[in-house]
Amino acid sequence: MNENKILLNSAPVDEFEEAIEKIENAATSRINATPDNADHGLAKLVLTLIELIRKLVEKQAIRRVEGGSLSEEEIERLGETLMKLEMKMDELKGVFNLTDEDLNLNLGPLGDLM
Amino acid sequence: MEKIIYAIIASNHGHTELIGTMKGIQGISGSAIYVLSFNDISVAVSDFTPSKYTINKELAIDFARVIEELSQQVTLLPIRFGTFLKSDKNINQLLINHYDSFLNNLQKVENKYEFGLKALWDYEKCSEKIRVKAESEAVKAGDYFSKSTIHTNYLLEKINKHRLEDALLKHVEQLIEEISRHLAQINPDCKFKKMVTRSIILDAVFLVKKSKKDDFIQAIEALKQQHDDLHFLLTGPWPPYSFVEITID
Repeated sequence: MNENKILLNSAPVDEFEEAIEKIENAATSRINATPDNADHGLAKLVLTLIELIRKLVEKQAIRRVEGGSLSEEEIERLGETLMKLEMKMDELKGVFNLTDEDLNLNLGPLGDLM
Repeated sequence: MEKIIYAIIASNHGHTELIGTMKGIQGISGSAIYVLSFNDISVAVSDFTPSKYTINKELAIDFARVIEELSQQVTLLPIRFGTFLKSDKNINQLLINHYDSFLNNLQKVENKYEFGLKALWDYEKCSEKIRVKAESEAVKAGDYFSKSTIHTNYLLEKINKHRLEDALLKHVEQLIEEISRHLAQINPDCKFKKMVTRSIILDAVFLVKKSKKDDFIQAIEALKQQHDDLHFLLTGPWPPYSFVEITID
């Protein structure tokens, strides 16, 4: 960035550079599928969508627990299901060598998916 | 050869005067800029042969330089890098088709600057502080279930994680409210993005009247003094990149 454009900066420059670099990396993190890595690109897209749905389910489940409408047995089953879902996701991420940070999509002006 | 478009410009003082104002400003890679007009709006363009250039970061920066130099002379709407049209005829048609929308946007940004503000925190330190504060409200096993099993403990952990995330978000929303209150007298248009990354908690842009520039900078300076735990980066003035709302088919 042109230094003349910085009017006020109260942080060490490297802290901001590091943070802005992360944003730039996120902005370029698109599904980059080529003939050589089509399966990886597809896996990333599919797992991103599954992770989004998993998080929505988790939120909804927590809301129901907090709402107090579930029996102890239902809560136990819910905990077990959510736990197994997360473990399965970790397993799939491992298979395709993906991290939590990889499972996101930049939607341009709308920001990140998650 | 194609035409690359830089900006839509208010030319209410006439085409000839506009050309005089823009004298000395070169297009990307030293190309000559010329102007096409329709009524009281114009467009700055130059000839461009895509095959001659590598479209890269340097070219994009040069493109931003052109818009920056133009914005110091005239009120403009920056056009996204890489917008090409085939001929002057197409460009004239563009001005005619979108005249009302260009004019409305030009009026909105006239005599105004854009500023960017980023607020950054030490995530580990601040989230710990908020976590401690929220701890008194943390859910305990007995609140929702009497049995403590591996599955209910997992749920408990998730509930408290979500509560912490909500508390962090609430903290950022309070900061946005405070900034808005602080800037109420300056009354800028603003757009906020919350929790852009773990460390950048706020990424905001403001459209400020040129006459209020110094007041705005002072207000942000005062805000900084009140928040030891936050780092601020204020940049500008920029052309109104974030406040132009036009879709060109």
